[in-house]
Amino acid sequence: MKLIFTTQGTDWESSMDPRFGRTQFFFVYDEESEEIQTHDNTTIENEAHGAGPKTAQKLSGFGAQVLITGNGPGRNAATVLQTTGTKIYVGAGDMTVQEAYNAYKNGNLTKFGEV
Amino acid sequence: MKEIVVISGKGGTGKTSLTASFAVLGGQNLVVADCDVDAADMHLLLEPDFAHGEDFFSGELAVIDQAKCSACGQCEDVCRFDAIDMIEGCYSVDEIGCEGCGYCARVCPDEAITNVKQNVGQWYRSAIRTGTTMIHAQLKVGADNSGKLVAKVKKMATEVAGNEGKYWILVDGSPGVGCPVISSLSGASLAVLVTEPTVSGLHDLRRVHQLVKMFRIKSGCVINKADLNSDVRRDLHRFLKEEGIPVLAEIPYNEQFTAAVTNGKTIVEWDADLEQLVRGCWEKVTQLADDR
Repeated sequence: MKLIFTTQGTDWESSMDPRFGRTQFFFVYDEESEEIQTHDNTTIENEAHGAGPKTAQKLSGFGAQVLITGNGPGRNAATVLQTTGTKIYVGAGDMTVQEAYNAYKNGNLTKFGEV
Repeated sequence: MKEIVVISGKGGTGKTSLTASFAVLGGQNLVVADCDVDAADMHLLLEPDFAHGEDFFSGELAVIDQAKCSACGQCEDVCRFDAIDMIEGCYSVDEIGCEGCGYCARVCPDEAITNVKQNVGQWYRSAIRTGTTMIHAQLKVGADNSGKLVAKVKKMATEVAGNEGKYWILVDGSPGVGCPVISSLSGASLAVLVTEPTVSGLHDLRRVHQLVKMFRIKSGCVINKADLNSDVRRDLHRFLKEEGIPVLAEIPYNEQFTAAVTNGKTIVEWDADLEQLVRGCWEKVTQLADDR
């Protein structure tokens, strides 16, 4: 499984970024190959509007099946992610990447859209 | 560090009066972020010194180089915003009408049109009279608030709170349910929903609560002008109960709100009864924001 995290840094100890659209980094983890890939998303600061859908579009290029984030995407971004079939888990905004991964593995994160 | 965001959906519910009062009650232990940038007016109550200001750029604007322009008029034909007009023999761009889409530049056979980044206003880091820092912004006429500007104001507020060791970030949130308010809410520990018992008050509360719920942000509600309409008040309570939103305060209609603003004071500095009510409300707000 390939997972993508919204983060404020580029390693396992980095804090998660609770924001989806304006997240500072993506942290991509491939469970099979144990490879890590990071992507600097800070240029999103320059977007006045529509940060969510733009980030969603960018994210689809990584081919991850699972997104782990904090607040979750807004409605427009969620529509984009739905078409790519990405599973979204939320509520990891206050965690580190490692904690968020553990919480996901232990089934402690909420699936987006389910209250 | 915890972030409290005050939003209302509907305008005129007393959101900013309440937020400025929270700022007074929270004193030096908080940083204020005014993200209601379209009609920012917290500065009227908190007296910022505008010590540090920076230009803020957002969006683009078409500019025509008259030396290259052959006045073919294709730009005017394609502009969907009717922002290009022939004035005194030259095609010129109406700065308020132009959305910076770039279509005119694309079709111009003379390559006379370029898009330039638009300076839409300034953001400020100010000392305010409550002995703390406020991050705020002022937009030029015709410029609109954006998720980008709100994100900037919040980012600066977070930096200041980190550097100065402040525990609370108090955000006067943007109106509506669009991009700026989404940006206001992201990362919040608590959303304070300010409403009033009117049909539009309840309607907009429902909408803004949908957003808060979708982002799984804890929320509490303040009913201002609570005695305005007993029927809608009952509906409000029913809605809040159904959604499990705690009522943080009910404030009866009070003309001292206006009197306080007219005198440049927050309601807690102006009226003893309101002070007591709002102080109790602020205590509940901080408790709720601190609950995990």
